[in-house]
Amino acid sequence: MSLRGHHNSTNMLVETASFLVVRLGISYVALPANGVRGVLTQEEAGHEQVVTAAETIYQLVDLAQRLSVVTDLSGLEVRTVLYSNGHSQGAIRVEQVVGLTDVERKDCFPLPRQFQCDERNWFGGMMLYQDQLVLIVNPSWVLGELADVVPAPVGQAEQMVAATPAAVGGSC
Amino acid sequence: MLRADRGEQQAHTRKRAWNVVVFSVGGLKLAARTEDVGGVSPWTESIPVPSRTPFVQAMLKRGNYVMPVYDLASRLSSPVQGDLLLCLEARHLDGPMAICIDADVPSLETVDATAIRPSGREDVETLGMVTIGGEDVAIVALQRLGRASQDAVSS
Repeated sequence: MSLRGHHNSTNMLVETASFLVVRLGISYVALPANGVRGVLTQEEAGHEQVVTAAETIYQLVDLAQRLSVVTDLSGLEVRTVLYSNGHSQGAIRVEQVVGLTDVERKDCFPLPRQFQCDERNWFGGMMLYQDQLVLIVNPSWVLGELADVVPAPVGQAEQMVAATPAAVGGSC
Repeated sequence: MLRADRGEQQAHTRKRAWNVVVFSVGGLKLAARTEDVGGVSPWTESIPVPSRTPFVQAMLKRGNYVMPVYDLASRLSSPVQGDLLLCLEARHLDGPMAICIDADVPSLETVDATAIRPSGREDVETLGMVTIGGEDVAIVALQRLGRASQDAVSS
């Protein structure tokens, strides 16, 4: 009955996650931003298989090839994202860096259950960004820490689940 | 007592008749139970998704909703026909799923359950086969569409 409750509700913590959204061909992909160590132009990154920055060696990761996505990496907007999850590093060449965004966890959706193979290891979920469907990649897989052979187990839900709306968000 | 009998009789009659949606993919006539169909709407461009799941390699965005696309036409090796293609929303056990179908507007039919026979088709999950308008039509099991091919992949 007191007004305190109203004050409390305005102070509620909103859990968010930050992502760097990049484009590979016609696919939009999000990398958890906490692993981004730098974004280099083609000129800065060079054309070697490794990129060295701040005394750290980043092996080139051909994410487009691993996802079987057709890309044109000759454009002016091509960038190399230096990425680390603390124990592995990689230099990921992308066609374009689209932007950095904070997403409320409730706005991240799981990959629909109909996707049942390796892609469950590739993507931790998905979200909408500037009206585009963006797939949230799993950094451990990107950096080569997970093999493709064993897909993550899918729940054996035999019940009807309703679409993939915000109601079942929270996959990031 | 009489009421119960009548109720039972009605339930029995209901079970004997199946309401189906008849649609086509690449000119091939197919049917699905009406309760397995969430709706039919104009097809919009799908978004490719990197995937190794057979026939599930895209998503369809409808406002703030996205649903996986099942490429039934590829599975049946029967490319969809027509300019203004349609989207049939399947009520799959794993959640709603979009299927691109021919531009021909689907029709509703009622079939006698006793007239449904085993389809013998192995290229798609079915609930059986029925003759509609002199044509044999497979009743596609939309709820478990893709499960057989995925089982084959994982085994």
